[in-house]
This record gives sequence, structure tokens and C-alpha cells, in this order.
Amino acid sequence: MAPSHAAPPDASRRLFLKVGAGFSAAVACTALLPALTGCGTSDTPPAPGLAYLKPADVALFRAVLPAIAIELEPMPAAQRHARIDAALKNIDGSIAAMGQNGQAELRKLLDLLSSTPLRWALAGIRTPWEAATLQQVRNFLARWRGSRFATLNAGGVVLVKLASVGYFVLPDTWEASGYPGPNPAVYRALQS
Amino acid sequence: MAIDDIYGAGMASGWRVLDAATFTASRTLDADIAIVGSGAGGGMAAEIFSQAGLKVLLIEEGGLHTSNSFKDMDEARAYRELYQEAAARATSDGAISILQGRSVGGSTTVNWSSSFRTPPHTLAHWAAEHAVTGHGEADMAPWFAQVEARLNMAPWEMDPNPNNAVLRHGCEALGWEWHVIPRNVKGCWNAGYCGLGCPVNAKQSMLVSTIPGALAHGATLVHRLRVRTLDHDGKRVRGLTAEAIGHDGYTPTGIGVTVRAQYVIAAGGAINTPALLLRSRVPDPHDRIGQRTFIHPVNLSIAEMPEKIDPYYGAPQSVASDHFQWRDGATGAMGYKLEVPPMFPGISAGVFNAMGEDLKREMAALPHTNAMLALLRDGFVPDSPGGRVRIAGDGSPVLDYDVSDYVWDGVRRAYLSMAEAQFAAGARRVRPAHLDATYYTSWPQARAAIGQLPLKKFRALLFTAHLMGGCAMSDDPARGVVNSAGRHHQLANLYIFDGSVFPTSIGANPQLSVFALTAQNASAMHKTITA
Repeated sequence: MAPSHAAPPDASRRLFLKVGAGFSAAVACTALLPALTGCGTSDTPPAPGLAYLKPADVALFRAVLPAIAIELEPMPAAQRHARIDAALKNIDGSIAAMGQNGQAELRKLLDLLSSTPLRWALAGIRTPWEAATLQQVRNFLARWRGSRFATLNAGGVVLVKLASVGYFVLPDTWEASGYPGPNPAVYRALQS
Repeated sequence: MAIDDIYGAGMASGWRVLDAATFTASRTLDADIAIVGSGAGGGMAAEIFSQAGLKVLLIEEGGLHTSNSFKDMDEARAYRELYQEAAARATSDGAISILQGRSVGGSTTVNWSSSFRTPPHTLAHWAAEHAVTGHGEADMAPWFAQVEARLNMAPWEMDPNPNNAVLRHGCEALGWEWHVIPRNVKGCWNAGYCGLGCPVNAKQSMLVSTIPGALAHGATLVHRLRVRTLDHDGKRVRGLTAEAIGHDGYTPTGIGVTVRAQYVIAAGGAINTPALLLRSRVPDPHDRIGQRTFIHPVNLSIAEMPEKIDPYYGAPQSVASDHFQWRDGATGAMGYKLEVPPMFPGISAGVFNAMGEDLKREMAALPHTNAMLALLRDGFVPDSPGGRVRIAGDGSPVLDYDVSDYVWDGVRRAYLSMAEAQFAAGARRVRPAHLDATYYTSWPQARAAIGQLPLKKFRALLFTAHLMGGCAMSDDPARGVVNSAGRHHQLANLYIFDGSVFPTSIGANPQLSVFALTAQNASAMHKTITA
């Protein structure tokens, strides 16, 4: 963001305004502004056991994780769910530790993606996240990451970062990453 | 094999270490010198003043985490407990990821142990352009030597790990300058886990060196205590207002702590120190606080090598190249230092920023992966003004950092240099960490493609681990927050001893620069005070 972009007083509108160039007409026609200005999920408490992510955010990350870490898809359901739950816990912990600015920026992104009309307009997914197919989620992430709009790039990059780091720090994933685990000689010596 | 975590025995012998998370009632603490932040600046100052017989109070917002908790050698635990914002800190727009420490010992607890003297070009530039006095190469030499001896800094004597060897081989093949990196280690096991907290207390971080030294001389350490404000009357600081942080490491418990001190040293590092001064409404007649915050923007290049690299094992940084750092002088086109990062799975996923089949392939290829990074030297020309720290509604820091065309030019040249070095070292294929880059299989192919990469935030993936500036030193009060001795221009008994005083970026990993400048300025300060 260039310093010359002075933040408008209502920071929650910034995402809208920056996306604006291409989408403002469509968005204005469907009168979606309220969803971008704080009427989203602001009153919803975090999902049980989590500090930041709300149920709608959890649904999003549950859909996004298998599109990013594709070894999740063919796994037995119980293993997949355990893996996703553990990654969600990491993602939640990272965001919960962020400062106010980072949390607020993410809240705008997550609220936008939890709003059905906006998700449809901007991510091309009209079903709830629970019903989105893997291909739809892949297409959404690829489109955002390839977009000429920096705000959509940002959303695509940040979602992939949170999900992939939160997933690959799990010891269960080391097999997939080729990381043999803690330096064996040192680790053995320290645990003995 | 049990490693003595130092603190267990120390506290049993009477060290004063308080965990503010356990406070059940507000309290007032008194000190000759209160130090805010226990990293490179605060840790060094604490030992110097404690040894001088002064009553030192060392305050850390993060927790006390010692080798006992590092022996799991686990990335997720380290990010959660030892890094600012659980390693999810970033610039205000999210475009540049920031790795910065947050526990007792600050970033010295998690850095990769590279220990460079401040480059002479940088010191000369400060004197010539920023009205900095007393910190020329000759002035600093004895302080560097003293710190090097104290923290056991010496060029790494073992062979570089294969990840660092790729950089050396590339430089050798191309006739580029390269050198062995001095490291602050004593009895290093060459495990590779510096960034996750040294599990064997070999790295001479503040956690295992000067802070134990200060505690043995009667200093008090309070951790999980966040300083909200410096309390002052516009001329002098009376003390501090602080809040205890709970066991989760982030949530205030509601218990307040008041500190009364003769002198206050701000040592929270760039980003946190300027934010503290802004929260405290410290006099700032020339609007300098938070300005000119520098980061050494970092871009990376990923290579698949024919040989096994295991880029997570072995001393993480032992080879560097300054071939492109000063070739156009301090103020020419942007210079950069080439190094390599350790590639644990989490940090690797962050660098790859890929999905689907691409991510699966790149993660599976980790054992054969070399990553190279460029530290871009910002702040030496008007086109490289750095960023600005401001505060959010709750007083937490926010860093705005724009990337100028001057910086982007450096980013592109650095992508080229890294790819060239990787191919010269035998890489099978190379991909710049950029959304539009794919794997290139030859240097000519890479050179042509990198020349066309669009350089924009979120397309070029940028990182930083070096935060500098924001409370610059200058003997000219119109240009600095503190003078060259680290004393605040408006508040007579406030000093700043951390990386925030640097007038530009350093051009090398900054820990020794912070250590030596602090040792010099703290010793000078000691001579001027009678507590």
C-alpha cells in the first residue's frame, strides 16, 4: 500500500474501495455494502475451542486446506478430519497472536468470504463453503492469485500462507515434506 | 543427556525472576535503571549496569522460555512462543512477512547466529549524512572486539552445511566474493535449530549470556509484562506504566504494574520502541518517531539440487557473499548481501506460497532444496526512505512499508544473482519465490524470465528478519529522536539502546551492531550518571 493512500476513516471500507475498480458496479447494484461495513460476523463469538476463527471462518479453512494440501483429499475421513482440526488450531493461534491491524484486515477478508452474495461475486462460489467442490475452491484461489487486483492477490497469498504453514508445521505431515524430523543424533541425545 | 537450562539453578540460588502472569495484585517496582526489552540492546545494557552496581529492572513482554522447552526442536512451538505475533507479524498491508523475536533474549534467542561487524561503509555514511558522531570504524573497533570476546564470536570453523555450500560453490564458480560467517556459539552441536531456540545453550544469545550475568549481579527480570507507556512531564521520565500478560502470552490479566526509575532505557527493538514512544506521547517536535524504519527487504530463490541438501540440518548460516553489496558504493543502485535460510517445513511452505500439486512437489523435494536469500540494503538514498511505524487504536504497532522502484530494481537484480549462483553451483532447476515464476532449467532461461517478472507486492514474495530505525540517532535534533550517545533529545533521562536508533539499515545481519553500539553507549551513559 502506498503511503499516499490515506486510510479512510472507516477502515472496513478499504478492501471494498481497493477492489473497487472492477467490481464497484456489480457490488453497488446488489446493495451488498452492509456486509463490508461491519455487519458481517462481528457479533459472532469464535468457534468452540478457538480464539479467533468463527464458525464461518472454520468452514472456509476446512474447504481451503484440501485445495492447498492435496494429500488430504484421498485420506481416510477420520485422519483427514484430525489433520484439518490440528491445522485449524495452528491457523487460529497465529491469527489470535496478531496485532489489532492484522486481525482487522483478516476479519474483512474472512467476512467477505462468508457472505454468500460477495463470495459469489468475488470468489465465484455460490454454495456455502461446506458444499463447495475442491475444483471450485482451487479455481477461486487460482483466480485471486492471478488477478490484476492487488487486494485479491493479497487474499489469495494470505490464505495460502496461513493454511500451508499451519498444515506443514504438523509433525504428521513430515512424511509429505521429506523432512526427516528433528536432527536425529541431537534429538536422541537430548531426550535420553 | 540433560542440558542445564541455567535458570533453574540460578533462580534456586536467588536470582530475581518474576513472571507477571502470576501477579494477583498491582504492584510498584523501583529501580535505578529500568530497561524495556531484553533483546540485543536490553540484554547487553542489563549486564553492563548490573556489573556497575546499579539496581537494574529488565522488563520483557514475552515469556521466559529456556532450553528445557527448546529440546523438542519443534517449529510450531517456536513460532508460538518465541516470535512476535506467533511469527505472523507483517507490514500493515500483509505484503512483507516479519520474523522478529519475542521472549526473554528477544531476537537473539531465535536468530541464526550471524555476527557481522557494522560495515565500515555504513558507519561512514552515518557520519557523513546523518550527523552521527563517535561511531566511526576506529571508534567502534574496541567495542566490536569486546563483544566478540564476550559472546564467543568467531568465523565458523566446521564445513558449511550443504545449503550454505551451494552459495559458496556458486560464488567460487563465478568468481564472486564470499566469506565465512562469524557465529556467536560456544560448543555448538551443528544441529541447525538456532531459529527455534538453541536446545543446547551453545548460541550465546542474551538468554544464556548477559541476562544470567545481570541476574547474578542482582538485576531483576520481569517477563510477561507489557509496558504501555513511559510516564514523563515533557522533560524527564518518571517511570513506566505496565500491564501483566497472562499465560497465553497475549491477553492482559488486568493487573497493573508501576515502575519508578531514575533512568529508562527503551530497548524493544525497531517497531516496538517507536510504538512505545508514540503511545507515551513523548515530545516529538520534528515528527521523527517511527519514521525511516528499515527492514532489509528479503527476496528468495529456490533451487532443486542433484545432491542431498537437507537444508534444515547444520549451522543455518555460515557462508555469505557481499559481491553485490557495495559495488556502486553506499549510495549507488541498491546493494544486497547473499545468504541462505534454514528450510524447515513451516518456513518452507511460507516461502513457497504454493498450492495443490505444485506445493506437494516442492515440499516433497525439500531434502534436495537449496534456498538463497538477498538482504537488500535500504535507507541509503532518498528513493529508499524505509517505512513508518504508527500505532493502531489499541496502541499496538503498525508498520507501513512501501516498496519503491529503486527497491524493486534491487529485488530483480537479486533474483538474477541468486538464480545465476544456484545454476553455477549445479542446480537442476530454479524458481524465484514469486507468484508468476515457474521452475527454470537453465541460467539463460531464468535470466530471460526474471527480466519479465512483474514486480509488485504479493506477486514478489517479500520477507524480513531485520528491523532497524524508527528512532534514529543524530546529533541534529531535527533529524533524530536520540543523539549519537542514545540519549533522547527531549527527555533527559531516557535512552534508546536497540536497533531502532540506526539511521539506515546495516547491510548485514544486525545483532553485533546492536550489541556493540549498546556496549559503547551504555558505558558512556554510565560515566555520566550518579545514581
